[in-house]
Order: sequence, then structure tokens, then C-alpha cells
Amino acid sequence: MNLSHRIGHVFVRNLVSYKRFILPTFIVSLGQPLFYLVTFGVGMGAYMGHLGGRPYLQFLVPGVIASSVMMSATFTCLYDTLVKILHERIYESLIATPASAEDVIAGDVAWGAFRGLLSGFFMLLIAALMGVHPASVLHVLLLLLLMAFIGALFSALAMIVTSFAYNFDFFSYYTELVITPMLFFSGVFFPLDNFPAWLKAFAGFLPLTHAVNLTRAAFYGEAFPGLFASVLTLLLFGAAAFVLGVRLMKRRLIK
Amino acid sequence: MPVAISARNLVKKYGDFTAVNNISFDINEGECFSFLGPNGAGKTTTVRMIHCVSPVTAGGITVFGETANIDNRRIKAQTGVIPQEITLDSGLTVYENLMVFAKFFEIPKAEARKRTAELLEFVELQGKMKSRIDALSTGMKRRLLIARALLSRPRLIIADEPTTGLDPQARHLVWQRLRELKSRGVTLILTTQYMEEAEQLCDRLVVMHEGKILKAGVPRALVEELIGREVVEIRARAEDDNALLARLSGFASGHERVGDTLYLYCRDGHALMRKIVELDLPNVRNRPATLEDVFLKLTGRSLIE
Repeated sequence: MNLSHRIGHVFVRNLVSYKRFILPTFIVSLGQPLFYLVTFGVGMGAYMGHLGGRPYLQFLVPGVIASSVMMSATFTCLYDTLVKILHERIYESLIATPASAEDVIAGDVAWGAFRGLLSGFFMLLIAALMGVHPASVLHVLLLLLLMAFIGALFSALAMIVTSFAYNFDFFSYYTELVITPMLFFSGVFFPLDNFPAWLKAFAGFLPLTHAVNLTRAAFYGEAFPGLFASVLTLLLFGAAAFVLGVRLMKRRLIK
Repeated sequence: MPVAISARNLVKKYGDFTAVNNISFDINEGECFSFLGPNGAGKTTTVRMIHCVSPVTAGGITVFGETANIDNRRIKAQTGVIPQEITLDSGLTVYENLMVFAKFFEIPKAEARKRTAELLEFVELQGKMKSRIDALSTGMKRRLLIARALLSRPRLIIADEPTTGLDPQARHLVWQRLRELKSRGVTLILTTQYMEEAEQLCDRLVVMHEGKILKAGVPRALVEELIGREVVEIRARAEDDNALLARLSGFASGHERVGDTLYLYCRDGHALMRKIVELDLPNVRNRPATLEDVFLKLTGRSLIE
């Protein structure tokens, strides 16, 4: 894999371009998770007892943070990336500079991770305003690191999908059949304890499950039995998605 | 002149389709070299292999002594590309487009600012610094693409159909700028379907068709060799060809029938035209032979899909 520091140049290019779209993209990427926090957390939470040993809103916040990172990163590397390929042809012009295809793709994965991180960070702030905050400043730092990684993972997964996409409708398969269902099978809204064994096993294959578990652990500073396995799974998932995403996208770009 | 680019037995395949079929050529440093050909001839594919964005299937190319391949950043660092499509960053202003691009060539910020100002003047866009790309006309966008290609002060410039879709004023401005670059010693590769463009700019050219080089040479010499100096076009029914040619072919070096027109090629049209006047033929045109005649003779006058 031919990677270089030019990944950073791609990132900067995105940053310069992004400054005009900050407000609209923020509203869009925060909308859905915020909606979950208010409806499920505050509204439904009032009728629910404690979950996983804490009030429902507290249970919900880390999961919603992880899923907002997932959503932002995913949408960035689906829609924004396809726009860059099909309409703006930015990839083409960047690859004609000393940057390699891998640099350009990795730069966009890094960018997706950053967008995910931003969304997660703002969810963190909103949750804090609602009175739910991490155990300490150290936990905040740990969370930010984790969010960046979760962002990179879902950016890379989205890159795999985008490498096959020739129009925007194609993305519905991924968002409606993979991303949205994943939200309900990964322990964001309720613990997976009451799932039958096979469903739990299935949830174990979903990256979001581990992302949510780890975010919750980092948020409250509480380890859980499968912590190490979750870290390992997420790392492997991330590495595999990155390698595959870059390879497949390169295959599309370099002919 | 030393050889800047050298291709030997170059082949490019996309699956079963052969886009470039075993071509060889040398391009000298400081010259303008043109790839001429109809759509799908393999021009763009060839130049994409030269500037290292498309892998070579077989054979090889060297650029400034280095082997061109997909990961050769050193060749890419010395090459400025004016692409066929408008690939400007529409999310950025004119100024930002150049500044962001300069980063990819590791040009320090102060220097990039200086060059950006100079280049915008060079392509007459100095007043458009803060404009968004959507606010530019096609001609302005093309000129900005030229400025962008020059940021790194490249040794080699590749212009892939740089005047497609431009009005005559804009096209002449682009030509002037390209000639100016050539006079500074830059090696220029041009792909085009416009014969006038090739005649205006290039020192040597190859005519490509269906992935092969049909002919290589100096534009004027090719016209003389393949067509002559003059062409006489006669609008007449094909049935009359034999009768006409019996009387006229003695004065022409060759002929061709396409659709409703009979083309007669010759070195000097005087004798032929006198004969035509004698025969009192209507719808006749006598004109100098051009590269377009060469092109059409080599690639066929019928439509290429």
C-alpha cells in the first residue's frame, strides 16, 4: 500500500472545502441522534426503570454517541466521496499530483473519521448539558480517541460500499439494510442480555456492538467482561475494512 | 535535443478491449508533440500512462529517464496536467483551488501565494481570485486548469484536448499561452481532435486510430506527403465519377469519394482548375490542403462512433 504524508494534504483540502458547509452538515448529522436522545432518552426514559444499573438516559447516551459517530462517518464516505468521484472529479485531479490513489482514499477515510469525531464530540456536549457526562477528563480523552477510531472504521466500511456505487440510490441498500438495522441490534437502545443466544452471537459480529460497549465502558470508566475481546474485534474489523476499502476504491480509480 | 519521453511497444488493455495496441514513439525535450485521432483512438489512454495514472499492460515508457508506472511520484512531481474534463474543486474559490493544489507539490505557502498571483495574471483571471468555480465561464475554468497545471513549474505539460468547448477568443488565448510555455523550454504533449490546434502548436505529431499509430511526422510534411498542396472538392453524383476521373485524374495525384463530394488531391491546382472551368462544372471549391485532409484520409471520412 503506497501511503505517504500526502494523506494530510487531502485532509486539509477537505477542511478548506468544509468551512462553507459546517452549519448545514452539523444540523443534519446531529439531528437524528439528538432526536433519539430526546424521544427515547427523555420521553420514553421516564417510563423505564434502570437499565444496566443506571437511569435510562445515562444508559442511552454512550450508545447514541457511538451511533452518531457511525452515521457521520458513513454518510461522509458514501455521499461526499461519491460526489467527489462522479461530479467534482476531485479524485482524478489529486491522483495526477504526486499523491497516490491510496493517499487520496486514506485521506478521505481520515476525513470521515474526523467528521464522526466532531459529531460524537457535539453529542457529548449536548449530553453534558442534559446532565450526563463522562466520569473524568481522562475519560473524555479516551472517548475522543475511541470515537476517532470508530469513525475511521465506519468510513472505511462506507468506502467499500462507495467503491461499487455508480449512483446515489445504491447507498440505500447499505444504509437501510445494514446501518439502520445495526442500530437496533448493537445495544444502543437496550442491553442485549435478553436476546436469545443466537441473536447475541449475531450481534457479536456487528462492529457497532463493540463500539457501543467500549464507548459505554470509556464513558463511565467501568470495565466489562468482554472488554479485551471487544477491543481486539474492533481493531481487526477496522484494519480489515481499511485495507479492503483502500484496495477496492483503488481498483475503481486506477484503470 | 535529448529525448524526454520514450515509449516502446506500449500496450494497454481494459479486459478484452485493447485501447493502445503496441505503439512506440519518442518525444524530445522542449518540443510540442501531438496525439491526433478521433474519439476512442487511444490518445488519452496513452497520455495517462505517461503521467503515471494508468498502469501499463505491456511494453514500457520512460519519462526523463525514469520508468513510468502507477507509483512513480517523481514523474508526477515534474508533470503538469491540463485535463480534458473540468476537474476543478467546486467547493473552493479560484485562489483556494491553486493554494490547495500547491500543497500537493510541496510548494511553501509564501511561494505558492506568489505563484498563484503570477499565474492568475498569466491566464488573465487576476480579478477572479475570490470567485467560486460555479461563477466562472467554461473558458475561465479552462484557463484556471492551465494555471493549476503550471503551479509546480513542470518540465512536462500534458494538455488533453485543452480547448474543447471554447469560443474562438478563449481558444486563441489558450494557444498563445501554450506557445509561450513552449518558448520557455517546457516539453508539451497535446492530444486533440482539432487539426487547426495541432497546426498552430505542434512540432511533430502522430495520428492514432483504434489504438495504433497510423502515421508520424511533421505536420506540413505529412500534408505534402499524403495529400499534396491543394485539394479540389467537387459536388457531383457518384455515377459521374468514372467519366469525370477519365478527364481529370491526369491533373491530380489522388482522389477520394465521400458521400456527395469527390476530393481531388494535387500539388498545383491551376491545371486542374483550368480543366474544370473548361468542363463548366458547378459546385467546385479549390483550397489549400490541410492536416484535416491527412487526418480524414488516414482515419476514414465516415463517422466514428
